[in-house]
Amino acid sequence: MSTFDPLREQLAQAAREFGGDTVSGILSGMVNDVDRALREELEIFPVCHHSPASGLAMVRRLREKQPKVIYLELCEDLRPLLTELRNCRLPVAVQAFATDLDGFPKDWAPLSVVAPITEASAEYQAISYALETPGVELVLVDRSTDHVFQWAPKEEPQHGPKEEEAGLHGDAVGVEIGDLRPRFAELEEHLLHHGKVRHWSEWWDQYVEQPLSGADYDTYRQVMVLIGSLFRRLNPDERRLAVDEDRERYMWTRMREHLATSGADPADCLYVCGAFHAASHVEQFGLRSTAPFEITPRTGTTWLYGLIPSSHSAIEAQFGLASGSVSIAAATWAKAVARSGLTPFQLAGQKGTRKRVTKLPAPKPEIAPADKLTGFLSRPPVLDELDQSELLGWCVDIVRLARRNGYLASTADAIAVFETSILLAGLRNRARPTPYDFQDAAVTCIEKDVVPGRRDVRRLCEILLGGDRVGEVGYDALPPLAKNVYDRLEPLGLDLTKRTIQRALLDLNADPHLVPCSDLLWMLRYLLPHDAVRPIMGERRLGERSIQESWDLSFGKHQRSIIELGYEGVTIEQVLEQRLRRKVWHPKATAAVALAAVEDAVLYLGSKRFADELGARAVELLATERSVDDAPEVLRRIRRLMAYYRANEPELPTWCEEFATAGYAHYCTLLPTAFVDDDTGVRQVAAMLGFLFSMESLALALGCDRAQLELAVRQSHPESPAKVAVLWAARTQLGLLTQGELRSRCDELLANPLVVPSFPQYIMGFVQAMEPVPALSGFVVEVISKAFGRLPDNVLLPWLPRLITTLRDQASELMPALVREAGRTFPGSLAAVDAWTPPWSARPARPKAASVPVASGPVTELLMGHPAACDAVAGLLGCAGEWRTASGTDHEEVGALLAEYPEPALAVAALLA
Amino acid sequence: MSDDMLRAPAEVKYAEELDWLESIDDGPKPFTWRLSPRMIRLFILGSERSDGLDREIPQKWFGDRSFVERSIVTLASDRGLLLIGDPGTGKSWLAELLAAAICRNSTLVVQGTAGTTEDHIKYSWNVSMVIAKGQSRESMIPSPIMTAMENGVIGRFEELTRSTSDVQDALISILSEKYVSIPELDDHNIVFAQPGFSIIATANSRDRGVNDLSSALKRRFNFVRIPVVTNKKSEAEIVRFRTEELLRRHQIELDLPPTLLDILLQSFADLRSAAASATSDDEKLESALSTAEQIGVLEDAILHSQFFGDRVLRAQTLAGSLVGSLARRTPEDLAILNKYWHGVVEPRSKKDGGPWQEFLEGGREAIATLS
Repeated sequence: MSTFDPLREQLAQAAREFGGDTVSGILSGMVNDVDRALREELEIFPVCHHSPASGLAMVRRLREKQPKVIYLELCEDLRPLLTELRNCRLPVAVQAFATDLDGFPKDWAPLSVVAPITEASAEYQAISYALETPGVELVLVDRSTDHVFQWAPKEEPQHGPKEEEAGLHGDAVGVEIGDLRPRFAELEEHLLHHGKVRHWSEWWDQYVEQPLSGADYDTYRQVMVLIGSLFRRLNPDERRLAVDEDRERYMWTRMREHLATSGADPADCLYVCGAFHAASHVEQFGLRSTAPFEITPRTGTTWLYGLIPSSHSAIEAQFGLASGSVSIAAATWAKAVARSGLTPFQLAGQKGTRKRVTKLPAPKPEIAPADKLTGFLSRPPVLDELDQSELLGWCVDIVRLARRNGYLASTADAIAVFETSILLAGLRNRARPTPYDFQDAAVTCIEKDVVPGRRDVRRLCEILLGGDRVGEVGYDALPPLAKNVYDRLEPLGLDLTKRTIQRALLDLNADPHLVPCSDLLWMLRYLLPHDAVRPIMGERRLGERSIQESWDLSFGKHQRSIIELGYEGVTIEQVLEQRLRRKVWHPKATAAVALAAVEDAVLYLGSKRFADELGARAVELLATERSVDDAPEVLRRIRRLMAYYRANEPELPTWCEEFATAGYAHYCTLLPTAFVDDDTGVRQVAAMLGFLFSMESLALALGCDRAQLELAVRQSHPESPAKVAVLWAARTQLGLLTQGELRSRCDELLANPLVVPSFPQYIMGFVQAMEPVPALSGFVVEVISKAFGRLPDNVLLPWLPRLITTLRDQASELMPALVREAGRTFPGSLAAVDAWTPPWSARPARPKAASVPVASGPVTELLMGHPAACDAVAGLLGCAGEWRTASGTDHEEVGALLAEYPEPALAVAALLA
Repeated sequence: MSDDMLRAPAEVKYAEELDWLESIDDGPKPFTWRLSPRMIRLFILGSERSDGLDREIPQKWFGDRSFVERSIVTLASDRGLLLIGDPGTGKSWLAELLAAAICRNSTLVVQGTAGTTEDHIKYSWNVSMVIAKGQSRESMIPSPIMTAMENGVIGRFEELTRSTSDVQDALISILSEKYVSIPELDDHNIVFAQPGFSIIATANSRDRGVNDLSSALKRRFNFVRIPVVTNKKSEAEIVRFRTEELLRRHQIELDLPPTLLDILLQSFADLRSAAASATSDDEKLESALSTAEQIGVLEDAILHSQFFGDRVLRAQTLAGSLVGSLARRTPEDLAILNKYWHGVVEPRSKKDGGPWQEFLEGGREAIATLS
């Protein structure tokens, strides 16, 4: 007869009374699961994540049994990292990371798996015991991180935005030991509703955690397996269950393999797994099973491993726990440890903990498990006694904390919170207020209509009850790159492990040995998130050097980012080089991107060879580009780079010359199309022309032909007014059009009422054309002035905002020239304005009528002969003219000259004759 | 007795239920409370099978359990309770239920207005009696709050923030010293509060800044903020519950089709999300779109169909009532409703058809009539 037969019978009876066959099946099935798990030859230790009760039971059991081998439900490839845990302050997360994917869809990259480890967890106890006790082996038996993704559904994982601290794990996939939560939403809702609690953590705390915290091992084990079995039986998510079952097959297969190879005695082993897995139904369950399971090989993906800092809030966010629940669990653990007098296990040298000496007593003999479930299920939970002094302490502290955060709280509030907590706990059927009751009471008594500071009372309670603890990875557990960063920043004399912002002051003139630090900080600035390294003073631009710099460094907070850089390379320079290289070789890279990379390489790496390599790639990219969208960016960057090289190098690098010639040919070719293409903006066309005109001398010196440009301009026939204006400007620059002609064209446009509405667009074209044709800026001022003077309001006013936005967008390029020119043109004082005539309206001094030579010839003679007709027409038109003789002698100087030297004139006359 | 009243207070309406609960209540009761805190919670939030009661107690207030618990516990302490929230979130209803359950009297109410004076909170005099007999306890007219103090029951103060600050501050001494002195009298000139006295006040969070509470008064109240119900399921429960009550009150027999209730809830949810994303006041409806507003719309539609229609609630009537109730400002509100009708209701009626089609037409007509 089995130990559990009486219970089974009792439950069957209950099922007959209240439910049908389904209920009966579930109830007896649960008892069977418990029975089976307990009878298993290999001792199964069911755990639940972040459960202090699990932790306590683990400590007790390890001391009693002292197993030689511990099998742990954790990805097997994470094993080497666990020894590094001793160098860290918990909570930290063990991470596996892969960027070069082989066998997974490329767009999944980068893949990241994290397994957070907190001090209050059962798994940490198991790990510490195994690593600190000589002769004990720790074997991780769960599928590898590679299999996590092999078994994942083949769709892109979705990531939502996360808060600052909660985002410590980034976009990683979380794995956790002992995931125990109803997967059946209705079941969870039902439990919460009837348990009269708000969220799952509170339910667990009240109905499982507290009753189990002082329970003996048998009770603990049986109850946990029972819960695991219940959740397993009420599980609608088939797909997830299938993955779980595969994991169970994997784990049992691995354990059997290990037992076979190591020859360990199963009686000396302990299998630590989630309670969900303890109630497994797979054929491979149990050491006696011989059911085969083929473990698929890993893919070719290269996995990198490391530890990253974690935090309670990150764990809560990752696993969907209620805010503050992990902190409360940690506080409960600390209290339970103190109360029980147990000495928990810990890794030697573990940071942030008290040193505890653990001396193991002699192991206790095994006793066959008795049925503890019947008692547990039929008896109301043993309620904890009112811990008055603890509650009083909380009440006083919360009021103090609230005052510090701007609340008008007083001792009266502390009394009210105390009273309300007890009343609330009474109303909720608890003898002792839980942290959740206390939180509710504090909110009721202290929170008023507005929150005065940054944090509300609920948040303050969470801080009070443990607060968010953020872990830290110790120096020894860091990857080489991160160690290198810390080493190289040593001369700054700052404690970079602190979580507060550190201010670094670098006087580079006085302390030249800090220059390498400055270089490194600039590189980190480029690679890390912007809050991690923030320059307050100092700039790094081409051809400039800071004398002093000051930085705000927040390495403690961004340790994860630095550690993850370590997955990319061994030094920062290498990572930066790789990033830049990846950027320019990306299939979507453009010439502008490559030029930016060249600039970054010059600025941060100072490597000429590498900059030249990137520059050569820029030439390649430019030649293959079919769009001119980036032309303004290309022009800006190449000008800046050339200016830098001219100032700092004896000669231009070859790639710059090639870029100039390739660009000249490239833009000449694309110019006619760009002029007519609707998708290409005026700014782009202007930038192309800017490139062509400003690189012209260099390009011509290197063998380009100007005729190519002239032809290209001749082939351009734009239709949009703005581009027409740009074309006119280009023709002016090439000498194909004089400024006078340009002016008269504009005047004609302004005089033509049909064209006037589009005149502003011409102006926009001219404004843009100032970039390629700087000589035109005076004319642009003239055109704008005329437009202001002559355009009707209904055309002018709607256009003004566009002019302003255009000028503002490109203020640095356009405004200086325009303002300078306007300053030259317009009078400087208000008084002068009245007397001022614009230079373009001031007609050249009217030449005397006489200065116009009167042609002689048959027409003149005819008119002179019959003046009446002309006089009549002149009279009609209102012109008062006078007749002059053709043989004008008004040019006295000319006459005198000819009279004195008649020979040339005579010679010419003779020749013409 | 409740049949003679247009609207019976909660203690009359649920008298029988309260009697029964009192008879089975063996829990500890604070002061002179008629029910224990647990029974009060049960009365307000309704019973479940797991409570093991012989009869079912229906749920009367719909909202988070912890709000009710916090309110009850506050009343058991020596602080007043201030329920704060948007209009139509059920603050007054909760206050009434609490008062009815605790002391069987929810009618000792002072309504806070701009015209409320200190006399409304303390006491005033029957002038003719004073002339005839002089000032005595007989010629004094106690306020509802003073009556509550004398009897050791709950006094209610509705819309506390609508009354001026000096009037509000009259509550400070009542809440801390728990007595009111009557200097006009020579003897018996202090009225002490009996055990069980407390105050439930309500305040509208939209009125914030009109007459802010002084910090001294804030300290004497525990604030419980009641949020707008956004959970569709509980909102449906509330609307159904209140409407059925209304139908009973008007003795109307009319079916409330679930599809129409869905339409109403859906439209309010849409309009709320539109209001949440609006950037200026002109882009959102003046109405707070509360649950009470929904009940108002439904009530209007029901009465309309009962008296002017064919005694069947139709989507068209509902649409008309919705537009009529929500369009308060012309043209802003009408423009928003017009946009909603054409941008959301029209595509939905094409997709889902059924009553949405009628709803669309009804709304269009109503908007056209009002424009």
